[in-house]
Amino acid sequence: MLFTSTEFLIFLPIVFLLYWFVFQKNLKLQNYFILAISYLFYGWWDWRCLFLVIFCSGINYLAGLKLASDKNIKSRKLVLSLSCVFSIGLLGVFKYFNFFVDNFISAFASIGIHLQARTLNIVLPVGISFYTLKALGYTIDVYKGKLEATKDMIAFFSFVGFFPQLLAGPIDRATTLLPQFYVKRTFEYHNAVEGMRQILWGFLKKIMIADKCAIYVNEIFANHETLPAGTLVLGAIYFAFQIYADFSGYSDIAIGTSRLFGFTSMQNFNVPYFSRDIAEFWRRWHISLTTWFRDYLYIPLGGNRGTKFHVVRNTFIIFLICGFWHGANWTFIMWGLINALYFLPLLLLGKNRKNTDTVAHGRILPNIKELFQMGTTFALAVFAWIFFRADSIGQAFSYIGHIFSKSLLSAPKGSGAAHILPLLLIMILLEWFQREELFATAKIGYTWPKPVRWSCYAFIIFLIGMYMQTTETPFIYFQF
Amino acid sequence: MKKFITNISLFVIFVILVYWSLIIIWGNYMPPSFNQNLNYRIGSYGHMYSRINELKKTKDVDILFLGSSHAYRGFDTRIFKNSGYRSFNLGSSGQTPIQTNILLERYLDTLNPKLIIYEVFPSTFSSDGVESSVDLIANDKIDFKTFRMAIELNNVKTYNTLLYGYYRQLFDKDKGFEEGVLKGDDRYVPGGFVEQKLVYNNAAAAKAEMIDWTPKPYQIKAFENILKLIKEKQIELILVQSPVTRIAFKKYKNNKNIDAYFSKKAEYYNFNYLVNMNDILNFYDENHLNQEGVKVFKEGVRDALYFFTFEVLCIIRVCNILCISIAVTAASAQVFGRSTLLVRQEHVRGGACV
Repeated sequence: MLFTSTEFLIFLPIVFLLYWFVFQKNLKLQNYFILAISYLFYGWWDWRCLFLVIFCSGINYLAGLKLASDKNIKSRKLVLSLSCVFSIGLLGVFKYFNFFVDNFISAFASIGIHLQARTLNIVLPVGISFYTLKALGYTIDVYKGKLEATKDMIAFFSFVGFFPQLLAGPIDRATTLLPQFYVKRTFEYHNAVEGMRQILWGFLKKIMIADKCAIYVNEIFANHETLPAGTLVLGAIYFAFQIYADFSGYSDIAIGTSRLFGFTSMQNFNVPYFSRDIAEFWRRWHISLTTWFRDYLYIPLGGNRGTKFHVVRNTFIIFLICGFWHGANWTFIMWGLINALYFLPLLLLGKNRKNTDTVAHGRILPNIKELFQMGTTFALAVFAWIFFRADSIGQAFSYIGHIFSKSLLSAPKGSGAAHILPLLLIMILLEWFQREELFATAKIGYTWPKPVRWSCYAFIIFLIGMYMQTTETPFIYFQF
Repeated sequence: MKKFITNISLFVIFVILVYWSLIIIWGNYMPPSFNQNLNYRIGSYGHMYSRINELKKTKDVDILFLGSSHAYRGFDTRIFKNSGYRSFNLGSSGQTPIQTNILLERYLDTLNPKLIIYEVFPSTFSSDGVESSVDLIANDKIDFKTFRMAIELNNVKTYNTLLYGYYRQLFDKDKGFEEGVLKGDDRYVPGGFVEQKLVYNNAAAAKAEMIDWTPKPYQIKAFENILKLIKEKQIELILVQSPVTRIAFKKYKNNKNIDAYFSKKAEYYNFNYLVNMNDILNFYDENHLNQEGVKVFKEGVRDALYFFTFEVLCIIRVCNILCISIAVTAASAQVFGRSTLLVRQEHVRGGACV
């Protein structure tokens, strides 16, 4: 079920009312209900893939129990390894199998050996990259002793399959989200209202920004060989905003929905395009994923400790895996590699934690230096996004090649600038003035009289209804 | 919790009112380019307004034509009038089965046709039906059936146009509107046909992407309803596919499946096989006949449907001379040496009662 579908708009109020009026009596009922509606939500798309969610939950649940009861270091390591093999194995089979087979055949073909192998017609189960990391994170935490293994199967299965986060995160940690399934949720008016406001902002970003940008991005990338460089630059910039508005919009809807059910979820985006360097960008972009990789991969590999060689190696490993996590295509690996190259100088010079506060803290406008830094970081991010968006490495290089052509200084043509730029400007301004809040509209209008506030919300809903695309556009991160 | 539910309920009511008010303001004062999801065009392309107006004064026809622009641009009612049949063309732009179903539910009893010729353009079955729905909302009355259609289509453009159209109907805002007979290259002909100034198809060589015909389930459901309704009223039905350019026709990979599907449902003719058209001289774009094409098509229709329509009309209107008419039909077939394809066994089903 898509958040932007009519089914979800009907599903949400029904389950909300049932949750708070019928199943609020005790904790068990609440968890049973959460589990049932989560599986219904997921099964709506394809019930067969539900078995993978159950399998992944089951493996990690059993691993947790075994780790809790076993004190032997060797067997604990074995349990953890098995859990990793099964969880990552799911990803390997369903997401990367064809990629590896194809590349294996190509590699042999390049040295004159022609192999024949069949790729499988595998459907990529939506959300598999998210729930496997979530479940695996739990097992690793139990292994490390950061978390006690749960015996409550329903709570654990509900945690893994929690419907607002099931399809595209945030990848909340077991240490923070799982305990919320152990205590009975009570309704809080303020929390629910905030959740609604965040959902509305998420819808606005997805429908008014991401879907609008998508039209022009698709057109520009498909016809990049015939378009002037100015248009191609705009196309790349639009994609930067499309992917941000799409994914952060999804995260806002997911977090807001979680709040409606009494759960607190982690912030997934924190105005990443106001970053002053790439290190800051990565602290603000897809936070739940980057921190997951940091805690469960980068730090165990040694992090910034050890020799320069180790630091460089770890940085490349983390970025390449992060890129590959996004999809079975060389374009994503290249995107990861470029970001590693951006990040490395900062790390080696010890400047990767230079900008940990919010830009222009306590001031309305940034200074010239900050503006330049933000502009440079954004330009670097946009350049890397070209690889992320392109269908192949070849297309990405062709796109970049056409940007650096004679028409570089020409005016963009047919880029939809008149339709999109005002919307982007509004979003950027809102985010700038609320950059220290959880989401851009967190404080706007909160103290206004109710009729004015409601009129603003109604106007936003009207704008969505009047200008949304009439064909459903899935969230980009569903494919990951 | 109670406060939250109360506030949400009040807010929903508030949003509906504000939304409707803004739709009215936008519809009345904003230029069309700002109304992306509001498309209220009374007297729009296709002369639907004139057709509906004329329809209200029309009763008891012999032949009723249904379908998309292929129907209202392909079946010239004047030709049938010359042959002594009263016909009405109720085709409309991009008309999909959902709209056809509504039009039939509204007007079938009044029109009381003896024969329905329904142009089943495969694209209309794969269409979401939104553009045709807003055409119907703006040019016909809005009633419960229109709301039902909007829910079936579940598209924000249809909802917005419906809200705006309902306001205009409620306050009689379109009173006094008159649609011209001539509009651009089009001329409305009484009976629902639209004649187009002779233009030739320049895009005849355009390469089409191969696609599979994948009808939407709700369009198939509406089509089944149409068949049921027509059957209940005991009206004879012929399904036809109007000719399109060869390139446009060949773009469907599964034309045989399409033909097989429609053949199972009713008497069916695919005129892409039955008439010989020139992609440039007989069309004004890849999907639509020009006036030259209409003439060629007319001959094809006459040849293909002659016996069928003759027989049907005889059965219904002149029962007592049925046997004679069948005999005449059979005799004329022999005399003029019609192809066996056109005089298939089922065409002379009436012979069984002889």
